[in-house]
Amino acid sequence: MRKPSLHIAILEPSRIISEGLQTVLYQSDLDCRIHRTETLEEFTELLESVSVDILIANPIHFVNREKEVRKIRKQYPSLSVAGIDYGIIQKQSMLTDLSFTLYDSAEHILHVLMKLDKKNRLAALQKNEDDNLTKREIEVLTGIVNGMMNKEIADSLHISIHTVVRHRKNITMKTGIRSQSGLTIYAISKKIVEIEDIEI
Amino acid sequence: MKMADLIDANPNLLLMLQHFNIDFRVSDQTVLQLCTGHGISENLFISIANLYNGLEPNGLIPFTRNDMVQVIDFLKHSHHYYRSDKYPEMSSYIRQLQENHSAKELKLLEKFFKEYFTEVMEHLDYEDHVAFPYFIALLKNEGNSDGQERYSSIEYGEHHTDIELKLKDLKHLLLKYVNIENDLDLRRKLFFALYELEFDLYIHSLIEETILIPAGVNLEKEKHA
Repeated sequence: MRKPSLHIAILEPSRIISEGLQTVLYQSDLDCRIHRTETLEEFTELLESVSVDILIANPIHFVNREKEVRKIRKQYPSLSVAGIDYGIIQKQSMLTDLSFTLYDSAEHILHVLMKLDKKNRLAALQKNEDDNLTKREIEVLTGIVNGMMNKEIADSLHISIHTVVRHRKNITMKTGIRSQSGLTIYAISKKIVEIEDIEI
Repeated sequence: MKMADLIDANPNLLLMLQHFNIDFRVSDQTVLQLCTGHGISENLFISIANLYNGLEPNGLIPFTRNDMVQVIDFLKHSHHYYRSDKYPEMSSYIRQLQENHSAKELKLLEKFFKEYFTEVMEHLDYEDHVAFPYFIALLKNEGNSDGQERYSSIEYGEHHTDIELKLKDLKHLLLKYVNIENDLDLRRKLFFALYELEFDLYIHSLIEETILIPAGVNLEKEKHA
């Protein structure tokens, strides 16, 4: 299967830098579409119409706007951010996944971007195959882990025993784990409960 | 067919030889020679070898009373393999994992494994002390407890399902969830041990379900005829 081309956004007001990056990317083997933006607002707007895979950003635009950037990242978890390292911003690592400098070779920059892309796709794959439990199932699971009987779980969540049983079936189907002690280990591995909360 | 060639084609048969208490140095003996030398009927030997090769017995040739005695011996030997070989092996891998890694759930995994094996042992004890003596009595025509056969078959079934499910849980936990990385040698050894155990337990229950229990039922019918 051919993978769709990569959508890369550049957030950089300097035309020289922005066009330089665009040229490097277009001349590479990387199958990509480039979107140039100059401000964070412009980029946010772009996100509404295009599913951007990678943002290459001048981190100066993140200064004093960390909250906004975090919100964007939360809202678009599949977006990765590569920061252009101008050697002045210290805290960029908090908001970017990787960075490169303008003095890096074109190969290195491409390598960095490919790495991001790979990481992205891997994460997406994991998410697809994940045993995502619903909020209710997590509540039922917590009850099971704490050794509660179906009736007790039903009472505490104000649902019928029948519904609890259905949730249990779904939990087992999604996780592949059936026994109570197995589910406990699952819940700890997934950080649904803390080991300290359980009587061993 | 030469036994050595059969082993070459499916090394799992070594485990079968061990359960039959036959040495691995099979020289150039054919299956028939090997069976004759060890007082095992060719029919039984091939039926069990077929199970190891993924084929269920066709039931064309009925098993004799002597076959039943051999089957019980075979199953007893496999109990030894679970108790004295697989359990300590897996137990030590899990212990080492726990020492090498900080993941909190490993402590629970060890507990889970111990509980699991306690259940396995209970089932083995049940077979050793209840089921097998019952069959032996039946073979010697001494049994006089009607309905016990049915009861034990059902109990067999339940035990087996539970044991299989827990083993599946253990595999899923290790394959999907427990947070450990690297240490691949140790983890592979644990996986291999798990799969070996699973495979032999599976054959074990197949032998009971397709050979031992039907033969027991026949013996009971015979007795009441």
